[in-house]
Amino acid sequence: MYKWFLAFRYLYTKLIALFGVASVMLCVAMVLVVLSVMGGFLDTVRARSKGLHSEIVLEGGTLQGFPYYEEFGEYLEGQLPGTVELTTPVIYSYGIFRVPATTWTKAARILGIRLDGYVAVNDFENGLHYERYYPGTTRLGLQSMPVAGIGESNVLQLPPDLEAANDKWRRQETDPEAIASFDQSPFQHAPYPYVTPAILGERVYAADLGPPRYEGPEHYGVIVGCDLLNERREDGNFNRYLARGAEVALMAGPLSRIGTTRGEPPILVPLRYVDDSRTGIFEIDSFCVYADFDMLQHKLAMDPQPLVDGGFTKARANQLLIGLKEGVDLNTSRDRIRGAWLTFCASLLPEVSDVDARAISLAEVYTWEDLQRPFIAAVEKEKVLVTFLFTLISMVAIVLVGCIFYMIVEKKTRDIGILKSIGASGRGVAGLFIIYAGAVGLVGSILGTILGSMVVWNINDIQDLLASLNPQLRVWSPDVYSFDMIPNVVKQVDAIWVASVAVLSSMIGSLIPARIASRVWPVGALRYE
Amino acid sequence: MLRARGLHKSYIMGRAPLRVLRGTSLQAARGEFVVVTGASGSGKSTLLHLLGALDIPDRGTVEFNGRNLFDLGDHARRLYRNRDVGFIFQFYHLLPECTVLENVLMPRLVTHSFWAWRRIRRNARRDAEELLERVGLTERAKHRPSELSGGERQRVAIARALVNRPKLLLADEPTGNLDEEVGEDILRLLTELNEAGQTIVMITHDAKVASHAHRYVRLSEGVIREASSPGGRPIPAGLATREVIP
Repeated sequence: MYKWFLAFRYLYTKLIALFGVASVMLCVAMVLVVLSVMGGFLDTVRARSKGLHSEIVLEGGTLQGFPYYEEFGEYLEGQLPGTVELTTPVIYSYGIFRVPATTWTKAARILGIRLDGYVAVNDFENGLHYERYYPGTTRLGLQSMPVAGIGESNVLQLPPDLEAANDKWRRQETDPEAIASFDQSPFQHAPYPYVTPAILGERVYAADLGPPRYEGPEHYGVIVGCDLLNERREDGNFNRYLARGAEVALMAGPLSRIGTTRGEPPILVPLRYVDDSRTGIFEIDSFCVYADFDMLQHKLAMDPQPLVDGGFTKARANQLLIGLKEGVDLNTSRDRIRGAWLTFCASLLPEVSDVDARAISLAEVYTWEDLQRPFIAAVEKEKVLVTFLFTLISMVAIVLVGCIFYMIVEKKTRDIGILKSIGASGRGVAGLFIIYAGAVGLVGSILGTILGSMVVWNINDIQDLLASLNPQLRVWSPDVYSFDMIPNVVKQVDAIWVASVAVLSSMIGSLIPARIASRVWPVGALRYE
Repeated sequence: MLRARGLHKSYIMGRAPLRVLRGTSLQAARGEFVVVTGASGSGKSTLLHLLGALDIPDRGTVEFNGRNLFDLGDHARRLYRNRDVGFIFQFYHLLPECTVLENVLMPRLVTHSFWAWRRIRRNARRDAEELLERVGLTERAKHRPSELSGGERQRVAIARALVNRPKLLLADEPTGNLDEEVGEDILRLLTELNEAGQTIVMITHDAKVASHAHRYVRLSEGVIREASSPGGRPIPAGLATREVIP
């Protein structure tokens, strides 16, 4: 009992122990911050990577794509009805995104999607800006530009379908702050599709004093990555300079079935900017645009093309996204779908051309984790490495605790002699100092966990504060780290793990001084004052 | 009760061994108050440490109730120090972080586990408070040693030595650090304890202290020079005074 009693008595009566507590606290806070930020980074990468694709992807592996995607989708839904929920094809290509109003251009990855199917297999819909406030109005089909004007109630209004959609959002929205925030945002009435930087807001529509209407020729819609088109503000929102429905254009080069350019000039497709998409991954949001699948397939000559013998080639896609039923195992499903793909391909072989046979042989079935593995694995390794390095640095705490306890043992030699003279064993005395170190570690860990948690929870505010003092101190750039915000969640399991290791490390740090204490010769310790 | 025979003890001082005890023997009967006197460096403290099993002799034995302490294992010797012997030191040796009451309780705390302590703590506390009352420090129970005078500290040390009701009290110059008046108080307290049946072996360089003892021996250069001299108090009837074996 004396070990516990004296250990905790020394804890709050010996000033020197506070240095041990402080060192453990700082180390725990440091490791917890690193672990939480890196762990949050990894979790965000995983969560967002998952949301980018469907659970399973049949990836063509080439830019020219692979045929029979539609047939395989139907085959799959028939063969594995308990596994597959739905399938949707995707085309991807590369080209130039252009805003005619400003002649501004930028390289872009162009994705052809069927919006209804695409949002059903991943989280894409959650990142659409206008779709949130005007549900059901983001479409990729042919459309004109909505122009706000003076309505019947003599106020600036959008065309009735957009106003109705906005009313629907207001009725559905459960967060009154979100509605208030939206209402506070100025309603743009820019006479031109391109809004000057002086007029900033969330609701950017072209407007004039006429009635609300749709205006201009019909073009297919395009959803643009939020960082590609807009300017990110410090608060994480965006300045939108282009009115919704403004005309933009895409330039791209069609590829033949064997990947040649077919000798044709690049296509130039006029489109209407209908929404912007925010996946939270900078590389995607600054590079991707999303257009209608069928339109893009046709423009890129991936739809059935006439053959010299009178027939037609099969339509091609680059990916087939496969959504799974609720609760099915990801890897098991991948293996089943992979098997189904091989069976399906074997059934095609007698009739398929050599070119198509090569294309389907290159297609492979992946889970979303397989596709993102290089990225996720890199972040995982980064997390392990950084945590290891900081843990290594934190080992200084062990040495520090060892030094502090050596000093304490030196100062407490007489107390050790007293305890031995009244029957305490060497092992008991060693135990006293190990418990003492454990108590120092425990208090340091608790304080460190509190400090570390507070830093992590407020890490974005801390960065903003530092950046307001000196912009050079903004260390988390979304350009570098993909995400807008520094991850700020502390996992309980991480906190418990770090605190436990810190307590154990403190006890390890005290082992040598404890051993010295256990060997104190009581006669020598008691002889003098 | 206590019989030390032919104790030899030397220490290495620099390169040469320093022979402190050279065949010292001493006996103490139950209820006896024996004083060991001698000049500084004569080996008094070393003898007391050997009697209390705080140290191990080069040669010789210390028998307590017929058992040689140095034939016992480490655990048994620790129990001997905890239960059979109470130490009183010249410099009190109280734990500065603990209160008076906690210092007195410390020998009980040492031998009880966390759970065992929960069972006995009320009794232990009552015993400690009784002892503090006996040494006149009830009001000082919650004070720290640094808040006490030298005499009060020594009284706390005496209470601590008695908390496990030891059969033998070993006192190492208990008045050596006190002025004459306070020292006399402490000696009176020890005499009272002895009169109540407590066996005491006390070492001192002050020959006058012998007036409180039943007998005293004088140690010089590690050997008993003057053995079994009668002290200032008459030996009570029935108490067998033993000869010190030179």
